[in-house]
Amino acid sequence: MSEWLRRIRERAEKALDKRAKYGPDIDLSRYNKREPSDASDILRLASEPAKRIGLSEKEVSRAGYVQVDERIWYGIIVEGLKKQGVIVTSTGEALEKYPWVKDYYWRNIPVDLDKYTAAVELYSGGKGYFIYVPPGVKVKIPVYTCLLITSSWEAQFVHNIVIVGDGAELNLITGCAVPHKVAGALHIGVSEFYVGRNAKLSFAMIHAWGRGVHVRPRTSVRVMEGGSYVSYYLVHSDVASIQAYPSVRLDKNARTHTASIILGSSNSIYDIGSEAVLQGEGSSAEIVSRVIGRDESWIAARSRIKALASPSRGHIECLGLPLSKKATIIALPELESRIEGAELTHEAAIGKIAEEEIEYLMSKGFTEEEARALILRGFMRVEVPGLPLQTQRLIDATIKLLSEKATG
Amino acid sequence: MLLDVENLVVEVHGRQVLRGVNLHIGEGEVHVVMGPNAAGKSSLLASIMGLSKYRVVEGKIVFDGEDVTSKPSYERALKGIALSYQIPPSIKGLKVKDFVSAMLSKYKCSGDYFIAKMLGVDYLMDRYLFVGFSGGERKRMELYITLLQNPKLAMLDEPDSGVDIDSINRIVNAIRMLVERKTSILLVTHTGHILDKLVDKGGIDTVHLMMNGRIVFSGLPDEVIPLVFKYGYKKAVEKLQRLGQR
Repeated sequence: MSEWLRRIRERAEKALDKRAKYGPDIDLSRYNKREPSDASDILRLASEPAKRIGLSEKEVSRAGYVQVDERIWYGIIVEGLKKQGVIVTSTGEALEKYPWVKDYYWRNIPVDLDKYTAAVELYSGGKGYFIYVPPGVKVKIPVYTCLLITSSWEAQFVHNIVIVGDGAELNLITGCAVPHKVAGALHIGVSEFYVGRNAKLSFAMIHAWGRGVHVRPRTSVRVMEGGSYVSYYLVHSDVASIQAYPSVRLDKNARTHTASIILGSSNSIYDIGSEAVLQGEGSSAEIVSRVIGRDESWIAARSRIKALASPSRGHIECLGLPLSKKATIIALPELESRIEGAELTHEAAIGKIAEEEIEYLMSKGFTEEEARALILRGFMRVEVPGLPLQTQRLIDATIKLLSEKATG
Repeated sequence: MLLDVENLVVEVHGRQVLRGVNLHIGEGEVHVVMGPNAAGKSSLLASIMGLSKYRVVEGKIVFDGEDVTSKPSYERALKGIALSYQIPPSIKGLKVKDFVSAMLSKYKCSGDYFIAKMLGVDYLMDRYLFVGFSGGERKRMELYITLLQNPKLAMLDEPDSGVDIDSINRIVNAIRMLVERKTSILLVTHTGHILDKLVDKGGIDTVHLMMNGRIVFSGLPDEVIPLVFKYGYKKAVEKLQRLGQR
């Protein structure tokens, strides 16, 4: 093992008991850390959970990177992308093959941030997707990646790295899911994204976990001068607990737009945030969240914009809609400026579906359920500028289904 | 008759708003309801639409051969009754275009793009429904939605109040389009402008004057409208009733 990697491992080992700032603490020793095995039946295993996030078997087979438990499968698209110089592989392989990858390894997120990042370093075995787009290459077709867990008490540790070169473009769609039968599992995903100068990265995530699954994504994005990062996050299933607070750092004239849609159910815990750090002149951020609380769900929607440079601009919009007497929604927008001349605003509101609106729609020919679904769909449907049409369509179709389900 | 309202008594939160209304509208007819504030004009339209807080205590509403008195509003809408609200609610989150596409799939209406152009609402498609709309935009959007329903009976509650002259012309065009489609119309209005334009075309069949929850006089537009604008509602009704007795 090389010296630099050994130092990273040491830091990770020291952090294995370090609790995270937010979210319930998880005892990592309860979960199996499995060795990788044969990948031959991966598509069959993937089909049921993938359906839950709106992906057909065909779409899965075309995906760039599919990981079921610890097995990896690369879709046909990867061959096509190779011609453009795009690399899709696992992070472990990338580290072995390309020495320069170490300059992106744990550079956005400290390996000893908490026990979860530490565990990923120690137990992921190089799993997770690595995508590199050379400067100036625009990959228009969305690249799908899927991370699925199929057996109980599985712990899935992944370390993803995405590098979009200067002036390049990449649209990623990531689905994470477990089949209904999985009783308990743990998913920890570290994602380090690097968006080059005047480059664009869009990242859509659709999550369908299960009642016993704990999820701890750790995502950090660096957007260089003039670049743009767009993220769309939708979680719509039960989960034991999910806690994430992705951070986007923006250089000069870089911008980001993030949307999180959380449809909470059963007694699940969702602690989901979004942070933007405006560290370059002319940078801007818009953070939007929509939260629906059903059953006994507990949902914290955090958001933070930090201005370190001026002029800069940031806006937070956080809207909550409890649909049950026992659901909890907490909206926590934070604005922080360390400089004169930054413009930061926020709007947070927790409300209800007005009877007057239902009545209006019913008088236009919609049943009460249809009227509620229309309003919910409108509430959940956040248009994110910069998402490719195909991605937006997948999201719209999912939202439509969910809004119909949510009223039932 | 397309619509028969018989001896309709309606309460809102225990207070009577309609005290025995009779109204009969044939296919393709245009009826205008006029009257002072709080006469019950909007309540009549809301009761025919079946809005939930309007409780029918007595009488019945028969539409297209079916007693709809106890039917929920969405069933009445699907049968062909449309109400263009005086003040529709703002629905934050619901994009106009999403609502329109839901309406289109429900009513299988065609020509929506042309209608949107005609009413000048095409640029509003990306907005939230009625959120931050001006008076004219609100009225035009409501009429647009009414036209999408392609109703047998269109009830228009003050489609011309609080709007500028450009909007009024567009609104009059939309009402004419309804007339051309042989849609029956029940129109509540206070202003002469829209009436003039419709009377010119020989478009209005009957004008009803409402006071205190009742229709107190029904007559031809030429006999009723000039008197209303000359003497006001109360005196006009007295004169018309005296004329009627002679």
